Amino acid sequence: MSVSIVHTLRVLLPAARIALVALIGLIVGFYANAMFFPGTSPEQPIDFSHRIHAGDNEIPCLYCHVQARRSISAGVPSVNKCMGCHAEIATNSPQIRLLANYWENKEPIPWVKVHDLPDFVHFTHKRHVQADIECQTCHGPVETMDVVSREAPVEMGLCLNCHKDNEVVHGTDCWTCHK
Amino acid sequence: MSKVDRREFIKLVGAGGVGAGAGFMLAESIKHPVEHLIPYPVPPEEFSPGIATWYNTVCGMCPAGCGISVRTREGRAKKIEGNPAHPVNQGRLCALGQAGLQVLYNPDRLTAPMLQSGERGSGEFVQTTWSEGLSEVAARLSAGTGGEVYFVSEGVRGHLANLLELFMRELGSGNLLHYDFAHPHSLYAANSRLFGETQIPYYDIRNTRYLLSFGADYLNNWLSPVHHGLGFGHSRQGNGDARGRFVQIEPKMSISGAAADEWIPARPGSEGILALGVARQILAGGDYQGSDAGDWSAALSTYSADYVADKTGVPAETIDRIASEFAHADPGLAIGGGAAGNHTNGVDTLVAVNALNYLVGNIGKPGGVVFNPDPVAAGSSGRQANYQAMQDLAENARQGAIEVLIINNTNPLFTLPQAAGLKEALASIPLIVSLSSFMDETTAMADIVLPSHTYLESWGDDMPQPGVGFSVAAVSQPVVSPLYNTRATGDIILGLAGILGLTETMPWGSMEDYVKDGWRNIYDRGAPDAGDFESFWREVLISGVWGENTRKTVDVVVAKQVIDNIAVAEAEFAGDSDEYPFVLHPYLSTALYDGRGANLPWMQELPDPMTSIVYGSWVEMNPQTANELGIKDGDLVRITSEQGSIEAPAVMFPAIMPDVVAMPIGQGHDEFGRYARNRGSNPLQILAPNMDAASASLATSATRVSLVATGRRAGSVQTGGVARQLGRNIVQFTGADAGSAGHSAKLNSIPIVVESS
Repeated sequence: MSVSIVHTLRVLLPAARIALVALIGLIVGFYANAMFFPGTSPEQPIDFSHRIHAGDNEIPCLYCHVQARRSISAGVPSVNKCMGCHAEIATNSPQIRLLANYWENKEPIPWVKVHDLPDFVHFTHKRHVQADIECQTCHGPVETMDVVSREAPVEMGLCLNCHKDNEVVHGTDCWTCHK
Repeated sequence: MSKVDRREFIKLVGAGGVGAGAGFMLAESIKHPVEHLIPYPVPPEEFSPGIATWYNTVCGMCPAGCGISVRTREGRAKKIEGNPAHPVNQGRLCALGQAGLQVLYNPDRLTAPMLQSGERGSGEFVQTTWSEGLSEVAARLSAGTGGEVYFVSEGVRGHLANLLELFMRELGSGNLLHYDFAHPHSLYAANSRLFGETQIPYYDIRNTRYLLSFGADYLNNWLSPVHHGLGFGHSRQGNGDARGRFVQIEPKMSISGAAADEWIPARPGSEGILALGVARQILAGGDYQGSDAGDWSAALSTYSADYVADKTGVPAETIDRIASEFAHADPGLAIGGGAAGNHTNGVDTLVAVNALNYLVGNIGKPGGVVFNPDPVAAGSSGRQANYQAMQDLAENARQGAIEVLIINNTNPLFTLPQAAGLKEALASIPLIVSLSSFMDETTAMADIVLPSHTYLESWGDDMPQPGVGFSVAAVSQPVVSPLYNTRATGDIILGLAGILGLTETMPWGSMEDYVKDGWRNIYDRGAPDAGDFESFWREVLISGVWGENTRKTVDVVVAKQVIDNIAVAEAEFAGDSDEYPFVLHPYLSTALYDGRGANLPWMQELPDPMTSIVYGSWVEMNPQTANELGIKDGDLVRITSEQGSIEAPAVMFPAIMPDVVAMPIGQGHDEFGRYARNRGSNPLQILAPNMDAASASLATSATRVSLVATGRRAGSVQTGGVARQLGRNIVQFTGADAGSAGHSAKLNSIPIVVESS
């Protein structure tokens, strides 16, 4: 007499089918999120266009992000700085009115971070800018973007490859970045 | 494969839907949280995100007056270091100074003016505005006569001291008291008697070759511990092969005692007798050749080695040896203070200690006693309220002679013994106003609370006392914008003066203006290279310190009458020695100082250097004593004096005399925030009101207590395991060769430097 497990499996079949469909759903849901809501180009409080400023008008990056060459963080320009030009330029555009509103209320603009490194990574803009690394190496072609999105994969591989290619002294030591 | 029926199909759709939803949420959950970049509308000058800005200012944690450099980023104070240019601490800083950040960012800070809304001491307050709070106080100040206004401040120096004095004078009141628990009243009195100096001299530990310390825990909290630590290090290791020798005399081993070459326990209160014994041996050995040697010999004739040995418990040979070592050291230095100065014979004791310096001729010499020039702006030394003054305050309150009492950042209800009766006396005062950053025991009794800035938010200045042998002054500038709706003490005073119409004599708009105005006098003292006043001011703020290389030389001639009367009576203790067999030795805690550090978690967590205990209180006793009483380590013990009793766990401590028990000061707060409240017990509460008649200060070491085990256990949290080596040979040592001495923006603050990343 033979004992078959087929009978037992057959009972479990409906459950297995449900689990399989749920698993497929999970994967689809996960990638749907990643594809349609990547979060790499978040909505900003003002529709600021880097294309107009850095692209069409060829304003250098460091004109506004003036801290980048001397601080670990590049910084965002103060509202004051924006108004330095926009007190005169395009004052009737609705987006500039939004800016002027912030200025009149002396409120900061809550920009949303696009490029963000984890806290365990020590990155300093100063060293990279002073070494003449193009901003675009990590930030992508920002001067072509109306809405900034995270295009370059700013992950450990990018750092290490660049450090290797440029033969950075101690460039691949762990504690160069993780300290 | 079976067919999918309708029910099955719906199940599958449901499963797919739930799965997709879960997948979506999973992807969502691993995304970076949204972070914002918040620009300034208008950035402050000198401000760069990511770049630290350092400001030099003055530490306000204890009266030593160290210079500090505070690292700020994005307008927040991040770290406090010592200012390398400041001659007091030369770049070093103690643990309490480091913890200043936790004063600034303490969650229990007072954030707005408040009015007491319930019974006094009920802790019920309602918020009010500054204008209302100030005008309420001003109305009460102008209603009565000035003489009924009392002002009790922490010991302040520099221009704030002048401002308080001016304000009280304008009110027509002379009742300004500076009250610090740990103020060395007896040391001031002793120096005044022997040297005729109103200031404490500079004890040059750095250049001495033989340091004889009578109870002065100078590495921990005596006068200027960070400076002394530097001097000690140099004395030991900075003179090539010559290593300074150091002897500590005290009934309970302190940190300084642990660092000494020789630790000599002398009976509590007998330190002065020992000093005179040493002095007599110096004279007997012919080591003093002054013209008044005969007077000294006659005055000290009673203090023979045998007599002194009998009174102090120190063997006659030891006294003889120390006298010889001290006299032949080049130079030797004797210092005294701490518990030795806090007996009923405290001033006599410290006069005797200073006499040793006189007899070995180190006055005015490097490595000896160097006199300090007068401070460049008036300070508060000599005007400190002693215990008598605080008792008078309580008495006047009881008599109804006080209409308004203003308290500034001092907490006498915690540091005065219950016997002083101040708490009950406060009930007779119609209006109590407290200027404080925290709800401490005294502020809890106030009717109006005007919250003050911390020292990191205030303008001020400081002339360290005792100084370092030459004139030093420093400006204290804000390093961050005020966190809350608080004001600096000076600004509160000027605000009151404004409402009271005193603007003619007190015309300054702010404390900053007043300090800056006052510094014009200091600018005028010399012809600085800095140029005009503004650049001088800028230089002072940037460097954090101002100094002048002027020395004070004093031709010390001790009057014959002083010599003839040099004597140290036996110390008196409160309590019968049969009923209360132990002398209580309360000592300033390394971490909590006089209790002001108790609301700082870092300080609560700092292990006591001698016992390695964190948090809580404890009572140290000799294991032999504990054995006789049947007390074990960790037993909860009831400590009773004539004035009351407290409880604390017992800690076995071998380096304490058998008839002495020691307790750290600082715990046992009823108020003072979440970290301080209801933790440990306060030994000051049970002290007897014994005073040293010569300085009218409280003899804090003159109380006898009894010990009883309560039968309960309450172990202390100890970070170090066993205090003994148990044959493991962890600490290896060789015996010191006795007699080897002599061998071998937003603010107008101005930052200093820009940090490179």
